[in-house]
Amino acid sequence: MATHESTGESVAETVGWRTKLRYVLNGDLVRSLPFWGVPFVIMGIAVYGGIGYNIAISLTDTAGIGAVDWSSLDLEMYRQALAAPAVHRAALNTFVLLVAFTSISLVLGLFLAILLDRQFRFKEQVQMIYLLPMSLSFVVTAKLWVWMYNAESGVINVTLGLFGIGPIDFLGDPSYSLGAIVLALIWQFSGYTMIVYLAGLQSIPGSQFEAAQIDGASTVRIYLRVIIPQLKAASVSAAVVLMVFALKAFTFLYALTGGYTPPKGTDILATLMMREAFSNVQWAYGAAIATMLLIMALGVISPYLYYQYRQGSL
Amino acid sequence: MSTNIDHVDDRDRRRYLKTLAALGVVGTTGIAGCLDEESGSDGGGETLEVVHGWNSGDGKAALEALQAAFEDEHSDVSSEFNGAGGDANAELNTVIANRLQNNDLMGSFANWPGNHLERYKGSLMDVEGAVWDEAGLKDTIHDATVEQCRFNDKMPGVPIGSHRLNNLFYNVHVFEEAGVDPNSLDSVDALISAFETINQNTDAAPMTQAMSGPWTNLQLFVQVLTSQSGVEAYTNFIEGNPDGNALRSALEATKTILENHINGDASTLSMTEANDKIINGSAGCVHQGNWLYGAYRNSDQVEYQTDWDWIPFPGTEGIYFFHLDSFLAPADNPTPDLTEQWLRFVGTKKAQIAFNEKKGSVPIRNDVDASKLPEFLQLMYDDLHSAEELPPTLAHGLAVTPQQLTACEEAIRVNFMGPYNVEAAASDLESAVSN
Repeated sequence: MATHESTGESVAETVGWRTKLRYVLNGDLVRSLPFWGVPFVIMGIAVYGGIGYNIAISLTDTAGIGAVDWSSLDLEMYRQALAAPAVHRAALNTFVLLVAFTSISLVLGLFLAILLDRQFRFKEQVQMIYLLPMSLSFVVTAKLWVWMYNAESGVINVTLGLFGIGPIDFLGDPSYSLGAIVLALIWQFSGYTMIVYLAGLQSIPGSQFEAAQIDGASTVRIYLRVIIPQLKAASVSAAVVLMVFALKAFTFLYALTGGYTPPKGTDILATLMMREAFSNVQWAYGAAIATMLLIMALGVISPYLYYQYRQGSL
Repeated sequence: MSTNIDHVDDRDRRRYLKTLAALGVVGTTGIAGCLDEESGSDGGGETLEVVHGWNSGDGKAALEALQAAFEDEHSDVSSEFNGAGGDANAELNTVIANRLQNNDLMGSFANWPGNHLERYKGSLMDVEGAVWDEAGLKDTIHDATVEQCRFNDKMPGVPIGSHRLNNLFYNVHVFEEAGVDPNSLDSVDALISAFETINQNTDAAPMTQAMSGPWTNLQLFVQVLTSQSGVEAYTNFIEGNPDGNALRSALEATKTILENHINGDASTLSMTEANDKIINGSAGCVHQGNWLYGAYRNSDQVEYQTDWDWIPFPGTEGIYFFHLDSFLAPADNPTPDLTEQWLRFVGTKKAQIAFNEKKGSVPIRNDVDASKLPEFLQLMYDDLHSAEELPPTLAHGLAVTPQQLTACEEAIRVNFMGPYNVEAAASDLESAVSN
């Protein structure tokens, strides 16, 4: 190959088409094609094709069963959605869920990771206990929390009752319901945050602690000034994963009630979208809500992509 | 030397990877091919596909009995019965809407008739001539049912059975302990004072309610409205001319019941879980469709009349709140002849008895020998055929369009799942039915 390149065009003219073909076939692009080509096609159709089609549908007025009318494309559905109080409520709930769940999980995960970042007996087992909820499906955890939140016989209210509190109708009372959902999700995912932080902590050499101690820094100062700033990358990647899970809370809410109508005060854009599209067969309106959810997700992920880009890892 | 070995290793690894990639390509193509084949298998020998949502419990047993009866009667027809999702019709409706929209049509599917059919407007087959007229079903099927099966000037399906909604099931022991005579309950006021008695004299919750979804409260409100202001007030409501005072008065009474006389853990319970409180005696009564009968029948703990019994929802005697299950036919489906054959079968006595006996609903033909049904269902069958009025159910699709139903559920979900806001619920319900 090297000879071809160095001798230039004159050689290229004299070599036969077979050689040229072999040259092309041996190129990196073609040789790597089987690896990236198949996923590229599948992703292209299934993900980006789906997103494109969803946006296209949202510009029409499609409702009911039947052919899509492509003749008049406008933003009418977005106008309707932005004016609907149900959409405002759902968007607000989605946002609150996203922020509360992500930030509390991060803080709790960091706290657990710092506690576990030292040698003690049964360390691995304790880590496992914290991580275990993550391995359970939403369907299982939702049912589990429904039982625990039961106002008469649930373990939480029984325990609170020992201290003379309650009973509190966690899922029935709208002033608690969103908090109750967020708590259940935190329980499931703070173990994951803990593992991410723990990996970050363990990569920090012990000499840094020593150096800081010799300089006379208190433990709190060591963590705040030396250790935690080095966990920035871990925080960003954990936060993105958590936010994506928050947007997927649909599964949890669906399993909680067995339907598309979650408890009062916990309606999020995803459940609202399902009701509009599949209960009411208002495809275009549902698609418009889906696009708004997508924009929200992009809003979450783009600072991360920008951060990665600035770090030079993209 | 070592570089040489590395080089060889590297080449080996690459060969593995190449083989792996090739397998990947072949595999993916193969899977895509299989999927394609599966969805396009309507060529050649015709198979009737029936999609339904009865995947567990009574529903499953009923569907299997119906399927066995069909295969027995039409052994020459190849048929395939596919369950969609869980028990909730929400899942079935999603699957059907998706498949119809994507032109992936089945021979027939189970769904509610009435205004619910608005969902499928323009995509249903008319079987009036080939099924209703040919099998003479208009003469043998209950009149009100025939009306519910006519939509948009077509008759797109055949009903299989009916549930009654305005029931109050009660635990005999709790009522006896409290000293409540069920036969004296003839109005909502009488019911509420009976609840107060049960509260005072027993440890049981007077009524058990499931509130993990809004439909149970919607249903209860409808019963209270009809009980207080009559079928006409309800009919006006579903037709979009609600009487504001009647709505508010019904919501007030419903609020009294829900605030003071139900189980404390309603918000976390499904219908089945709420009903368990009747079976184990920790609640006095429950308002629900007579699909609950299946749960009592399957329980070893309770016997009809000695442990559980039934009265019409107080103030609705002589009224049969009407729920219907039916099989529908999508237009342009791949097996129109088999679909008609299937729907004619659904209308037969054999099919109706096989299905309803297991499902705990009643046949909607006029000429069924009721003695073939269990005792409780005989009573229900007689009620259906002697009812003075048959208002259609709201929460189960017959009365209003799917969009209006979702709006009604939303009105209840936002304003009437605790804390109970009568004024807001009333005005949301009014606007839900009037557009």
